[in-house]
Amino acid sequence: MKVYQRLAGNFVAEGVTHVFGIMGDGNMYWMHELDRLGGVKMLEVRHEGAGLGMADGWARVTRAPGIATATCGPGVTQLATALVTAARAGSPLVAFCGEHPTNDDEYNQRLDQARFAAGCESGFIRVNTPDGADDAVRKAFYLARLESRPVMLSAPMDVQQMAFDDGDEPYQPSSTLFSPRAVQPDPAALQQAADIIAGARKPVILVGRGAQWSGAGEAVLKLGDRIGALIATTLMAKTWLSEAEYHVGISGTYGTRTAMQLFEEADCVIAVGASMNRYTTEHGYLYPNARYVHLDSKPHLMMSGGRSADCYLQTDARAGVEALESLLARRSVKLTGYRTPEVKKRLPYQFEDRTEFPIEPGSVDPREICLALDEIVPADFGLFTGSGATAGFSNILFRRRRPVVLASHFFGCIGQMLPAAMGGVAATGNKPALLVDGDASIMMHLAEFETMVRYDMPLLVVCMNNQALGSEYYKLDAHKMKAELATIPTPDLGAVATAFGGRGRLVRSIGELRAAAGEWVARPGPMMLDVRISRSVVTLPYRRIHYGRDE
Amino acid sequence: MIEVNERIEVPSTPQIVWHLLSDPRAVVDCVPGAALGDKLEDGSFEATLTVKFGPARVTFRARIALELDAAAMTGHVTARGRDNQGGTRIRAKMTFKVVEQAEPPGSAIPIEARVEISGRLASLVEGGAALVVKRMTGEFTERLATRCAAATT
Repeated sequence: MKVYQRLAGNFVAEGVTHVFGIMGDGNMYWMHELDRLGGVKMLEVRHEGAGLGMADGWARVTRAPGIATATCGPGVTQLATALVTAARAGSPLVAFCGEHPTNDDEYNQRLDQARFAAGCESGFIRVNTPDGADDAVRKAFYLARLESRPVMLSAPMDVQQMAFDDGDEPYQPSSTLFSPRAVQPDPAALQQAADIIAGARKPVILVGRGAQWSGAGEAVLKLGDRIGALIATTLMAKTWLSEAEYHVGISGTYGTRTAMQLFEEADCVIAVGASMNRYTTEHGYLYPNARYVHLDSKPHLMMSGGRSADCYLQTDARAGVEALESLLARRSVKLTGYRTPEVKKRLPYQFEDRTEFPIEPGSVDPREICLALDEIVPADFGLFTGSGATAGFSNILFRRRRPVVLASHFFGCIGQMLPAAMGGVAATGNKPALLVDGDASIMMHLAEFETMVRYDMPLLVVCMNNQALGSEYYKLDAHKMKAELATIPTPDLGAVATAFGGRGRLVRSIGELRAAAGEWVARPGPMMLDVRISRSVVTLPYRRIHYGRDE
Repeated sequence: MIEVNERIEVPSTPQIVWHLLSDPRAVVDCVPGAALGDKLEDGSFEATLTVKFGPARVTFRARIALELDAAAMTGHVTARGRDNQGGTRIRAKMTFKVVEQAEPPGSAIPIEARVEISGRLASLVEGGAALVVKRMTGEFTERLATRCAAATT
């Protein structure tokens, strides 16, 4: 047996079912062996970075390591932006990469891949010798899961071809090293948290991905009922629990004015599985009068601006919220909090954006696109929102709770959500989903639409096309500079999608959008809608940040 | 750095206008969201200023010093403060002058101001801050003009 064969077998033993990437001579033997072993679907993509982005989407949906692959050197450098994005997203990933032969320093595809991985904020494991093959794979998966981050497994081409003596020893997968256990809250810290909450008059429960992952939903709602709390989410947990009566959407830059006005009154914020970064609390400015109770599974988390919560509780989210609720119940704590007729009256209209903008003929108000799609696309279909200026519409206006809702923004880059959405769709066993992103973002990895067609992925790509780099367009405009510099025309992307073998439409009215989306819902498959949007409509966050306006 | 250049014209004599402007409380009353606190030993004042950036309201605690030159009818106002979250600093310098104006008859008050916001809030409000400051300046000059006009009669 050769080392590459053992490496491939080890990936199968780790439970791998999907691999995203491009074949090259640094990884083709390994892929060949995976194919021979069977049971692993290898998705050939058109750019290694997009492949890793798909593995990231996969990981964000399943919480299991996503697998990407690239050949040595030039295949690896393509991974940069996607690796940093995945690292910032805290996605467990293993990237199997070839590496130039250890005995050839002048090999033209040589690259110091260890330094590259470090620069991309990713872990790095090299298969240095045949005897280290098992340890290397096990450690890569162990670190990916334990630290929830991307790990590059780098296998020099000459080492891959060396003989491996398995001695009939089966590979021991990383799960034999550890299995995650829920962290239980410390009783004294729990008492302190309960004291703060019991003394509150206006509490907000702010839930993030950690709360979702631990299945804390019911517990959060029960605690919210007991203490009369508003329920808000981070961007990453968007629309989660949105069926709750006192749900106010996102806390942060994508928050509504109503939510922000209510947050100002808050005297206690209970953050559950949320990092409490500067975007979530707007550096603390959203909650000028609040004390913080912060529940997270990490030993400690510093909030934005180097602040620490008034009470930090290291705990699994669900275990912690349940324990808090029952402790408050034993103390007979029952608060009215925010749950008054006055507050209730304000909530049904909180997402309405009544500011009027002139809409150019042949273009659509981007806000209407979000509202129409949220209504037409069934609630059991997933939603992926993109980055850039148009995210200011989608991240606020889509409101329905869906089994999968993923937002972008981990690295502030465009172009990453099309691959992530494809990986996310693959992770759900090809359940239909919707991606809403801007034109510059979609054009960046447009070639992957062809991949989507090849694997018949039921993804509707809605391109909010303002034929511009939207963020720069509005920033230049706000600075009274030449905004036109940020405009770039695109071809008819509906026609491009059709040429790639999928379905597509150019959409210039809300009626055309409804018809096309309805057609896709009836028969989901790879489809792209090039919706020409009005540039005159400025997103709510940009109105605040760049134009100093309130609504 | 946000720079403001405004000019107010009022149909009152420079003496009336100067008398009004040399009263710190009267001037601070014209600043939207501002409240003057105690006078300190060195002659400066404590003040608070609440500013709305989008829907979020931020309160700054500031120290304001006023230097007046009655002969030249000029004033320098300096304000330094930090917000109630402690992460943002604000520094402002303003110079105003009262001059006689022939047409329309009365006084003109040219105002120059420089405002610097640094720290956490700056990244959040970006270009919008300049617009907020300009809007506040507009409101300030409007209130001041109204007050000066009222002093005429």
